[in-house]
Amino acid sequence: MPFDATDVALSVLKIAIVLLAILNVTPIMVWVERRGSALIQDRPGPNRVGPFGLFQSFADALKFILKEDIVPDAANKLLYTLAPAIGLLPALTTIAVVPWGRPFMLHNLHLFGRTFFQQPRIFEPIVADLNIGVLLVFALASLAVYGIVVAGWSSNNKYSLFGGIRASAQMISYELALTLAAVSALLVAGSLRLTDVVWKQTGYFVLFDTVKIPSWNIFSPAMWISAIVFIVSGFAETNRLPFDFAEAEAELVAGYHTEYSSMKFALFFMSEYMAMTTMSALIVTFFFGGWSIPYYVPPATFLGFLLTALVFLAKVSFMLFVFVWIRWTIPRLKYDILMKIGWKLFLPLALANLVIVAFFIAKGWI
Amino acid sequence: MIPTSWFLILSAMLFAIGVCGVLTRKNGITIFMSIELMVNAVNLTFLAYARQFHQLHGLIFVFFVMAIAAAEAAVGLAIFISLFHHRETIDVDEANLMHW
Amino acid sequence: MFEYVIFFFFAAVAVIFAMVVITNRNPVVSALSLVVSFFALAVMYVLLDAPFLAALQVIVYAGAIMVLFLFVIMLLNLQHMHEPATHPIQQFLGYTSSAAFAIALVYYLLKYAAYNVPASPFYTDARMIGVALFEAYIFPFEMVSILLLAAIVGALLLSGRVPGQRPNAGDEVAS
Repeated sequence: MPFDATDVALSVLKIAIVLLAILNVTPIMVWVERRGSALIQDRPGPNRVGPFGLFQSFADALKFILKEDIVPDAANKLLYTLAPAIGLLPALTTIAVVPWGRPFMLHNLHLFGRTFFQQPRIFEPIVADLNIGVLLVFALASLAVYGIVVAGWSSNNKYSLFGGIRASAQMISYELALTLAAVSALLVAGSLRLTDVVWKQTGYFVLFDTVKIPSWNIFSPAMWISAIVFIVSGFAETNRLPFDFAEAEAELVAGYHTEYSSMKFALFFMSEYMAMTTMSALIVTFFFGGWSIPYYVPPATFLGFLLTALVFLAKVSFMLFVFVWIRWTIPRLKYDILMKIGWKLFLPLALANLVIVAFFIAKGWI
Repeated sequence: MIPTSWFLILSAMLFAIGVCGVLTRKNGITIFMSIELMVNAVNLTFLAYARQFHQLHGLIFVFFVMAIAAAEAAVGLAIFISLFHHRETIDVDEANLMHW
Repeated sequence: MFEYVIFFFFAAVAVIFAMVVITNRNPVVSALSLVVSFFALAVMYVLLDAPFLAALQVIVYAGAIMVLFLFVIMLLNLQHMHEPATHPIQQFLGYTSSAAFAIALVYYLLKYAAYNVPASPFYTDARMIGVALFEAYIFPFEMVSILLLAAIVGALLLSGRVPGQRPNAGDEVAS
């Protein structure tokens, strides 16, 4: 495929935007999590550093950097050091295939006294619009388990090892339900491209000749089951409560990162929040219409793009808040219950829903 | 365009490494992993020839090989778990009886 | 030019980590090296214009099969087990014969293989493979599904707890 310097510059710009956004999620989410948990538990939470304790995250980051970096004597040094980076990699890269706004035309842009884009060019607000986008998401998501397993094993601590073993079994099990739930959204879109999935969800459908409902997949009569399966499996995949068996601080000290301290621990922390953000973005893209705005067709201009990008941001922020909300509301399950609902409830539900969606499509109802 | 033969040479090297692993190791799981390596080398050959001759059959075959490798891994690892529970080892030289 | 750099880099990665797999005494390190090797092979698949199979390679091999390997290795606590070295004669024969095998393969590939036919792009996507699977290959496809079902049943039967046996070390985690 031929490409020129403008394409490269645009790609670099997109990567910079996405990377900045996802790297800044962690401090914000730490603050939201602390204040949110305080709100739910009826206590003030961190409120001393800056207005509403907003700078608490920076104090935390400084503390992480300054703490002593301890490597256990019995640990496998190489893998122990590599594990946080392995965990960070999928969390950072998966977001590349998620579209975050409406594509628009770049034409005659006046900047620095020069005119750019005399040839009009479409700006696709997505880092990599692959035609196997969804598969890439699942491929990278399936690599996410290695960070936890390697950390758990290389620490040479039995609690860490238990955390790693639990994580490996849990993530294989829930990946199936997650993938099958997403397949129904793909079936409706008829494509593996995430941009197509979003375009399919713009507009609305009319129910009983009276109510106009946005054609988001979650409102579709055939697909709300797989939406629920996807969201809950997403919680399990990101190791969040009520499914955080890999760390389970009541049972396993701190699970796979028991032995980690300082910046390495901070990297695990970051990858957890980044994985959460990616999962929220995927939930929004698959089932909540991505960047689409209900009852409004944004124009293909910069303004329309900005509007859709903000809407996407708002939806993702809401999903992130749901993650925090559920963490501080629902207690941890038992491990056998986790496995039971994964294999005996969610997998059949996702499969049944797939059949229902296929039936709807065959009948021409979707 | 990278020539097909380069992929074939890479595949041959990986296959030979897999053969070497099967021949020289005793740990059952490592031998199993060497077999997986050989299977992957063959997959690479299939894909290289599929591109060379513009045939879809090679890709379909790789698809089936992956499915069967998944089944093989499940059953093979179950056999090793069973062997370990009975013998407390997965050394393949120790498993010298056809029944236990 | 760029794709040649990618090819040589990932070919080297695949071969080096494959060697780590067969030489390292620690099964966990072997398994992780195999994951890296498979990942490098997925890059090869992308270079061969088969991105769909590259994604499948990562999902199936790196994401499922190797996690299963790691799970079993950690479950059986094999990393502390001492693996006896094979007999020196076996070692020698194994290394020399596989090296001879590799040399012979490469030699005949260079001599006879269709490498002098210029390759051209053959772009494949999920739709093409899906159509082929459900039209020409529908019978093998169904057979593979039955095989997978049989594998699930077989794995459950093999690794399940035998009634009346003493509980083993791995069992409380396994169940």
